[in-house]
Amino acid sequence: MAKTTNIVSDLLSPELLAQLERMELVSRKVFRGRMKGERRSKRKGTSVEFADFRPYVAGDDLRFIDWNMYARLDRLFLKMFLEEEDLHFYTLIDASTSMDFGTPSKLTYAKQLAAALGFVGLCRTDRVRIETLGTELRRPGPILRGRHSVWRMLDYLNGIEAGENVPLLEGAKNFCLRNSGKGILVLITDLMDKSGFEPALRFLSTQQMDVYVVQTLAPVELNPAEQIKGDLKLVDCEDGDIAEITVSRPLLDRYKRTLDAFVDGARTFCAKRGMAYMLANTEIPVSQLVSSYMRQRGLLR
Amino acid sequence: MTSFFINTLGPLGWTLLALVPPAIIALYFLKLRRQPLEVPSTFLWSKTIEDLHVNSLWQKMRQSLLLFLQLLFVLLLILAVLRPGMEGQQKLIGDRFVFLIDNSASMGAKDAESSRSRLDEAKKRVLEMIDQMDSGDVGMVVTFSDRANVLQQFTDNQRVLAAKVRAIKPTEHTTDIMEALRVASGLANPSQAAFDEGDVQVAEEKPATAYILSDGRFPTITDFNFGNLEPIYLPLGDEASSNVGILAFSTQRNPEKDDELQVFCRIGRFGTEPDEVTANLYFNNSLLDVARIKLDGEDGTGGAQFDLGSLDVGKLRLEIDHEDVFPDDNVAYAAINPPSRAQVLIVSEGNNYLRFSLGTDQIRRIADVKIVPLDYLKTEDYTKEAASGRYDLIVYDDCAPENMPEANTVFFGQKPPVEGWVFKEAKVLPQIIDIAQSHPIMSFVNLGNVSIYKASPLEFPPGGTVLIESDEGALMAIAPRKSYEDAVLGFSFLVSEDDKTFFNTEWTKRLSFPVFVKNLVQYLGDVREGQGESSIRPGESFNFRSAGFAKEAHIKPPSGRVRTIVPTADNLFAFSETDQLGTYEVREGDAKDVSQYFSVNIFDAEESQIQPKPEIDTQWEKIEGNEAWLPMRKEYWKWLVVLALIVLLIEWYIYNRRVYV
Repeated sequence: MAKTTNIVSDLLSPELLAQLERMELVSRKVFRGRMKGERRSKRKGTSVEFADFRPYVAGDDLRFIDWNMYARLDRLFLKMFLEEEDLHFYTLIDASTSMDFGTPSKLTYAKQLAAALGFVGLCRTDRVRIETLGTELRRPGPILRGRHSVWRMLDYLNGIEAGENVPLLEGAKNFCLRNSGKGILVLITDLMDKSGFEPALRFLSTQQMDVYVVQTLAPVELNPAEQIKGDLKLVDCEDGDIAEITVSRPLLDRYKRTLDAFVDGARTFCAKRGMAYMLANTEIPVSQLVSSYMRQRGLLR
Repeated sequence: MTSFFINTLGPLGWTLLALVPPAIIALYFLKLRRQPLEVPSTFLWSKTIEDLHVNSLWQKMRQSLLLFLQLLFVLLLILAVLRPGMEGQQKLIGDRFVFLIDNSASMGAKDAESSRSRLDEAKKRVLEMIDQMDSGDVGMVVTFSDRANVLQQFTDNQRVLAAKVRAIKPTEHTTDIMEALRVASGLANPSQAAFDEGDVQVAEEKPATAYILSDGRFPTITDFNFGNLEPIYLPLGDEASSNVGILAFSTQRNPEKDDELQVFCRIGRFGTEPDEVTANLYFNNSLLDVARIKLDGEDGTGGAQFDLGSLDVGKLRLEIDHEDVFPDDNVAYAAINPPSRAQVLIVSEGNNYLRFSLGTDQIRRIADVKIVPLDYLKTEDYTKEAASGRYDLIVYDDCAPENMPEANTVFFGQKPPVEGWVFKEAKVLPQIIDIAQSHPIMSFVNLGNVSIYKASPLEFPPGGTVLIESDEGALMAIAPRKSYEDAVLGFSFLVSEDDKTFFNTEWTKRLSFPVFVKNLVQYLGDVREGQGESSIRPGESFNFRSAGFAKEAHIKPPSGRVRTIVPTADNLFAFSETDQLGTYEVREGDAKDVSQYFSVNIFDAEESQIQPKPEIDTQWEKIEGNEAWLPMRKEYWKWLVVLALIVLLIEWYIYNRRVYV
């Protein structure tokens, strides 16, 4: 029990939990769910909400014929109602070594974010699934549903360790192979893939999902002037690549320009493909990110 | 000397220099390694420096760009030390060189087509030659004008030689190469330097090459054997140059009108132009007179005379309006000196007529006369004055001193105590048959109406002149003694016979007597009245005696500070700082007025002759001039050093930017 408490307080503070309880995941698209849920679905069903009429064909359930319409027009019309179903909510975490940087590390930050969003989904009885890019095809992440699954979710999140150095594209492909359904996908990554993030995002954009890309960057990446000084040999923690630099004002300016171009590029790329992009500085607490930024972006309500 | 490179360093220097590049490389490897730092991703950093790393070779080079620049810098320095250069055509001959550089007045001429004067050109050439000297070669620098000046004895220190050459200043002197040649040949031909036949030759003969840089305008070299000295004549100047110069300029009293001054000038043309020049005469810097002077078609000379009327003391300057390459001789200076008063001592007793004659206005204007009795000869004052040259003229009337004074003297009726003067037995009533009218003392003196009671015919020392000739012999004569002259009259004016004193002659009552006295005072008193002062050449010494026994004299040159000189024991002032052209003012003692002027002028046809001589004449041979001057070695090391400095600047810039590495 003590362990559980730790897990909760590590990833989700009680205050945040209270805050999150009142929230709800919003999808900009309406999907078909798998089970009866709280979501409107494309499927016509048995809710109280009217959806449409259609001409009667033989075999239709007579209970749904609109008799008033028949009285007026002397033709049989079937009255259709919206079906309410559950929402598939996926969180895909990049657990590469590069995510293990910063205080708190980008990975922890990603876990917190995933936990917060997942909690919201669980509260609304959505179908929540959390996976990493390196999750093997044979061992997909658990499918969670209902508030009682919070502990399982947090347990799973705690089990995620950095070091799964999988290219972004491959991770995305594997994810899509495992999950063919529709729903909301939140991709939490730093997008630092030497082969480029574009193919992976392009691939995801073709899926019938509402994709949110959250790029987590540590302060050391956003503002290196404070931590990187002098003549340095920068070693890439993933592939050991070396970049020799001598830090100077012009170099830092140049880096800043490159970073801005990179972030801008990602944002534009996402916007063009109907994906929502968000830059998350790990210095900003998750609670703030969730309560204000995410709401602004329309992921939460 | 013949290769593209000249080695300028010894083995030690090369060793040290060779150590520098390895040291740089070692330092490069030893330099602070970059600290490794693990970052989430070098993705952005690589992107940041990506466009700088265009290709891997350049990238590798870039990583050690500073090293390359430093090595390049050292390489350039090494190249510079090797002194690369294009070999010129000119070669130095031998290993001992004497550079004879003419710095006379004409070398100051700036030829047309040339931006520098001949002397500057000569200096440039000598510097080039010094640059060419191999190590071990020795050189000597001698300048010559009217005298030779050894600026530097034989040395192999090229820097000293070059410094001495650079320090050469132009002079206004005339040219004489003989002294310089003797100096130059001193070491080459020791036997010539020996004074006597019997002198043992101790110095080894050392052949040397004498480079003579001159315009060749000096007298033919005579009485000189070059011997081991190999002369090479490098004529300087443009053959086509032409020049007009003043050759003479003097003032003179008009012989017919004594109070009028005349100025004469003679102008020479050297070259083809012009036919006519304008001469402006200035008096104390204001224009006084102008004359057009026609120059003769054949010898190119012309002259002019200016009648000035009566002018007071002052400076005269004559300028020719003509632009030529040698401007110094277009101006000539002269001055009208204040009349110098003669200091006259008369030793006489009872001769009133002499006293009257000395009291005339004429005499008072030109002389200070002091009449003393015979006793004065015995006093100490006289001895001192006589020995010091206090007086210009001492007249001994019927008396004689024990020793001759330092002055011109006149003796009336007594033999001076000088060997050579003889009074023969007195004759009664000699007849005057001739007077030396041409002599200044006897000019306008008429003795036709003069008879003499008793007179002694004279014999005089060699060099003397008879002034009054009688049938019995010379009655008056004048003869030189040291720098003075003694005039002796064979009779006195008063004679005493039988205790009676009477006049020996009635000359004293005649009109000619005051004239004669005035002539005596004027001539022997050395009175120069407003006449042309002395003109000397630049560098010559100006000597004069002070009339008033000044303890010092102040001489003001045309420009510069006033010099003060003191006389030698016999009251002689000598001033030798006469390098400037112009009129010098002399003030004696504390006097405010100028006591005399003297002028320094070139007045030398050889110097004004501006075209260079193509060859030098000597007694036996002609030394052909090396007309064409081919530039010596073209040096590149300065450019290399400049390049090295630029490399250093770039290196410094990159080191400071540090973006690209």
